[in-house]
Parts: sequence; structure tokens; C-alpha cells
Amino acid sequence: MSEQQDWNALSDDQFRAVFRSWVEANCPAHLRFMRKQRPVFDEVSEWYHKLADKGWLSPLWPQEYGGMGLDAAKHIVYVEEWARLGCPRIPDHGIGLTGPLLIQYGTQAQKDFFLPRILSGEHVWCQGYSEPNAGSDLASLRTSARRDGDDFIVNGQKIWTTLAHCANWILLLVRTSTDEAKRQKGITVLLVDMTTAGCTVRPIPNLRNEADFCEVFFDNVRVPAANVVGEIDQGWALAKAVLGHERIFLGAPSRPEYAIKRLERLAQDRGAFDDPGFVARYAKLRLDLYDLSAAFERFARVLRAGGVLGADVSVLKIFCSELYQRITEEMLTVAGEEARLWDDLHTGAGDVDAMNLYLDSRAPTIFGGSNEIQKGVLAKGVLGLPSSF
Amino acid sequence: MTGLILNDDDGDLALLRDSVAGFAQRHDGPATLRARRASGADLDRTSWAAMAEAGWLGLMLPEELGGAGLGYAEQSILCEALGQALVTEPLAQLSVLSGALIAAAEPGAERQRLADGLMSGAAIVAPAWQGADGGAGPIAARSTSNGITLSGRISYVSAAQSATDFLVLAAEEGQTLLLSVPANADGLTVAAHATLDGSQLATLSLDQVTVPTQAVLCRADAADAALEQAIAAARLAISAELVGIGTRAIEDTIAYTKDRVQFGRPIAGFQVVQHRLVDMWADAEFAAASVSHAVEMQAEGESLERDLAVLAAKARAGDAAVTITRRALHLYGAMGFTDDCDIGLYMKRAVALNATLGQPETLRLQFVARERAAA
Repeated sequence: MSEQQDWNALSDDQFRAVFRSWVEANCPAHLRFMRKQRPVFDEVSEWYHKLADKGWLSPLWPQEYGGMGLDAAKHIVYVEEWARLGCPRIPDHGIGLTGPLLIQYGTQAQKDFFLPRILSGEHVWCQGYSEPNAGSDLASLRTSARRDGDDFIVNGQKIWTTLAHCANWILLLVRTSTDEAKRQKGITVLLVDMTTAGCTVRPIPNLRNEADFCEVFFDNVRVPAANVVGEIDQGWALAKAVLGHERIFLGAPSRPEYAIKRLERLAQDRGAFDDPGFVARYAKLRLDLYDLSAAFERFARVLRAGGVLGADVSVLKIFCSELYQRITEEMLTVAGEEARLWDDLHTGAGDVDAMNLYLDSRAPTIFGGSNEIQKGVLAKGVLGLPSSF
Repeated sequence: MTGLILNDDDGDLALLRDSVAGFAQRHDGPATLRARRASGADLDRTSWAAMAEAGWLGLMLPEELGGAGLGYAEQSILCEALGQALVTEPLAQLSVLSGALIAAAEPGAERQRLADGLMSGAAIVAPAWQGADGGAGPIAARSTSNGITLSGRISYVSAAQSATDFLVLAAEEGQTLLLSVPANADGLTVAAHATLDGSQLATLSLDQVTVPTQAVLCRADAADAALEQAIAAARLAISAELVGIGTRAIEDTIAYTKDRVQFGRPIAGFQVVQHRLVDMWADAEFAAASVSHAVEMQAEGESLERDLAVLAAKARAGDAAVTITRRALHLYGAMGFTDDCDIGLYMKRAVALNATLGQPETLRLQFVARERAAA
């Protein structure tokens, strides 16, 4: 582990300069601006280890656990620069989910065992939340964990588990009790070694013909009770508590920003800027992006001032995901008959992965809480409307 | 509803908001609008005098002219609060736009006279510069031994019936002139038309109107620049007012849908209504973010950034207020279609302001043209 310093003592601009220059020198060129949104661990392990060696893998973990200990303001800079420089996404459930959960709620033994193995890349984590009949309504999950001496016996199925096929540990939400009237009670967080007998993974090809999510089956999988995080039956609150200011990033303008640059490239090459119809549609998209940045900045400023985000931050996610879709839809309009083709489109200024982005843009209105779920949260939490069901 | 968020370390903006709320209690916006509409007037003189008394008319006029010398932040907060209260006197034209033109004029007695009158409310100084297409439409100017003689038609003049002075855009041999013309000048006639928001908008006809050369406030490039700057200032003021209208319309609609019971429950409890309300609220949030951004840019940004931010803000705030009030009206049901219900007044005011100084699509196309030209 390399030496650390108090990054929060730097100004945002100073930190940005330090971070940018190191990333530019160290993020391998062939990994920049990858076509794939969710590369598997082996594809990006070189970058993972470089970050780990530098001590920059876990921006939010306290330094005593090997993180950078960034505050929210510096974290925004970290994420912005990461996107701007086109760094590939690394399998980050250990860094962003399991790690913070253990740091906040784990036992000393759990922290000592798991945290270093996340940083070293020995443990690659995935998130076992959704089930075939528990998606938006996550609290209805049914994967069960039955106590048997010092162990739990897990049975059931998870689905839409991102990158499970390259993970060896899974953070699992399981049902340990069905007695309670309230469904959220009786859910427990379990840390499960995926190499345990009875655990199998089946990748699901997605719209882009890539396997980035999977089904995970549990057939009498034996898990030590020591792998429970927090209290038994009290896992729901833990699962909800992990996401703090990171919710802002679901609405970060980086994806639509990237897409509109590709749209501009394509439109320039195909002469679309001579078409007043296109220009009017483009202008709408361009100003939506411009104002998304203004709205993002409004929330970022709350964090910079040391404040806490409210439920209203969901507005960014809804707007951002829909804008991303509308930009990629316009790409296909500009592509004309070529939109029948699977491969990237050629232009004088480089290729444009129009179809790739079009398909990729279908996901963000679904994941991270579908936009309809977000609207429900806003209706209740911000507008103060009565419950609708 | 959050509305504009601007740095307010001194608490001055909060005080300004409070004083508008107090004003609105004494001068009810919707009632004033209805009375003004019924009388065919283009300005409510009681409200206007009270606004002068409050010191709001010369908010951005420089201190050297006796103004408050405040900035876009204060002006925007004032306009937002007036929008919320549906105070619909033409402040953006008579105070912001005229004020910016006067501030940019060459120093002199006429400039000071106009500034004094504008601030005290003793003079109603109406800008008169638009052609029939809404863009700058300078009328013909000709220098004579008696001064300058003006002829032509000017469209979209606010408060022309109440005006004491017009700030007229003219051109002589391709050179722009900005002149002060008394409203009672010989050869000047006013044809007023009722507006959607219960006021009057006039076409001025000038037939050989002669003014002395001292009436020229500025000329040539300085006049062009002054007008451009004044338009941007007025656009930003109107954007802020539109934010106020949109946020108030949502607040009222939420209250109404919580109160209105059908099928045994408040209609705000139905998911389809909730999602509509959330969409409306989200549009208001983005409008507020865009306008807040534009206000900050006026202090911080480069020239191009400042201009782009205003174009974006006016387009966003206009679209938001118009569509929010339209959807609000729908959620009020048949009640929304009555003249008694204020939501219709908010909707009409939003449509009128949205059409003022550039519709959203026009502004967006200008934004893209400017940005691409600079790239």
C-alpha cells in the first residue's frame, strides 16, 4: 500500500489536477473508452491492480482501511475525471457495496478478512438482490436461509446479477423469517462464497449479445453464520443505508454527454446539420444536456457544502436516463437505412457505435430503481402525496 | 418547491422574497389582473406606485444614477416572487429593459431625467424597438435643422397608453440610434390590443415626429450593444418570473388534487395523477436550475457563456411554465376551465411571457448556432 495523504485538504481543482495527471499516465490506452460498459474482471485487471497499488481503488473508504477517504466533493471530481478520461468500469461491487457495508456494520473479523481481499482483487463481488419475482418489489424476495447449527442453508434463485460469472463472492439478501407482518422484516444480509457446493451461475445474454448479468442458483448452499452482516432479520435497513451521496451519479451527465458527441460526429458526416428538422431536434437534445449539467451542479453544490442529498436527487436519474435514450434514438434517425446494421457506423472522423449506444441506453430507465419507482419515491418523499397503494 | 437557489450569505435575497410576499397581500395579483383586464388599462397604477415605493423599479440601475446598483441575483429573486404571486405589471419591460438602456446611455440630463422618473414611478418609460416579427425593427430617422425626425411603426410596446416616454430604436443611414420620445409628441399615435394576460400591447405609429438632438441617448455600435444587453437582462428577468409561475402552479395543483375526492379518495392518491405531478415538478426543478445557472453565469462567465446561459434559461423556463400550467389546468378538471379559477390566469401569463422576446425553439436554435459558430 502506497503512502496516503489528506486529499480533502486540497482544493477541488488541485485534486482534479493530481488525479487527472496520474490517470492519464497510468490507465492503459487500450482500456480507454471501451465499447463494453461492464467489462469482466480479467479484461480490466491491469487497471484494477494499478489503482490498488496506488491506493486509489476505493475513493470513499476511510484511509485506515486502505481507501482514499474522500469527501463527497472530491468524490464527484474523482468520478467526473474517471468518465472524462474514458477509464473502464471495473467490477466494483466490492468497493462500492460490500466494503462500505462491512466498514459500517461488519464485525472486526469480517473487516480484517474481507477488506484486504477486495483491495487485492482476490475477492470479486457481485450483488445478489433481485429475484425472478422480486424486482421493483424487492422486499418480496424468497431466497431462504435456514439455520442449521453454526451455519445457514441457502436455497433459491437470484437474477439480473451483474457480472456474477466473474465474481467469487456474492452479497446476498435472504429471507430468514416469514413470521413478521411487515415483509421488510425477516431479511438478512449474508456473505456467500460462490465456490461453495450448490451455487451455480448461468450468464444471460443481453440485448447487446454480451453476458453482463446472470442467474445465480442456490441449492442447499451451506454458509457459516459468521458471514451474517449486522443483525439477523434486520438486513433490509442495511441494504437501504449503503447508498448515500452516490445516488447523484445515477444522474451524472457523462453518458448522454458521450452519446451526443457521437451524434454530432455522425450528423456532421452525414450532412444532417443542413436539415432544419434535425437541427431543431438536436437543439432540444443539446439544451436538455446543458440544463442537466446545471441541475447536476445544483445537487453537487449541496454535497460540496457538506449537506445531505434528499429524495429529490432522483429527478436527475429520470431526466438523464430518458435523455440518453432520446439521443441514441436520434442517432438511428440520422443513420437512416444504415440503422439496420449491427456494426459500428463509419465516418470520416472515426467510427460511431450508434447501435451499441442505442441498446445500452435501454438499461438506465430500468436499473437502479426503475423510473416509475423513482417517481413513486418523489411523489411521496418530495411532493408529499398520499400513498397510491 | 425549491425554485431559484442563489448564494445568499447576507440574507438579502430572503428579505426581498419576504417583502414581495407582503406586497402581494396588499395588492392581490389575480384580483389586480382581473380589474385591469376589465378596465382595459395596460398598467395598474396603484401597484406600480407601490413597487416604486418599495424600490424595485431601479433595482439594477447603477448607483451613479441613483439606482440600487444590485445585480441579476436580486432582480431574479424579485421577478420569481412576483411570478409566484401573479403580479403581472410589465416590470421586465418598464424597469429591466428600459433601465438597462438608460444605464447604457451617454451621460446627460435626459438620461438622468429618465432614470429619476423610472425609479420614482413618476415617468413610465416604455421601450419601443420591435418590428412586427418581434426582432429589432428600427424606424427611419432623418436629421433636420430642427433635430431628428422619426417615421415608422413599432410593435409590441408595453404600457403604451400609460407611458410618458418611449425609448425608440431608429436608424439613419445604417447607423442605429436610441432616442427618448415623449408620449405626447405630435405625430405619434397608439393602437392598443388586448393581451392574453389581461393587459394591452400597442403598435406605435410615428409620422414625422420630431425630437431635439438631445433626445439621442446613444448611437451606432454602442446602441446595438445596449439593446442586446437589455434584451438579455429582460429575458433573464422573464425566465425568473416563469420559474415563479411554474412552481406556484404546481403547489396549487398539489393542494387541489389532495383536496379533491373522487372514488372515495383524494385524486392525488392515484398513481397516474402522481406521476403527472412528478413530471411537472421535475420540469420546474430543471427550469429553476437553468435560470439559477444563468444568473450565476452573468457574474462569472465569459461573454459567450453568459449569452448561451440566458438563451437556455429562457427556453427552459418558458417551456416548463407553459406545459406545467397547461397540465395543471387539466388536473383541475372543469374547474380549471373557468375564469374564476386562478390557474387559468397563471397559464395565460405563462403563454404570454413564453412568447415574449423569443419562443423556446427560436432561442434553442440561436444557442446552437452561437455555440457551433464558436467551436
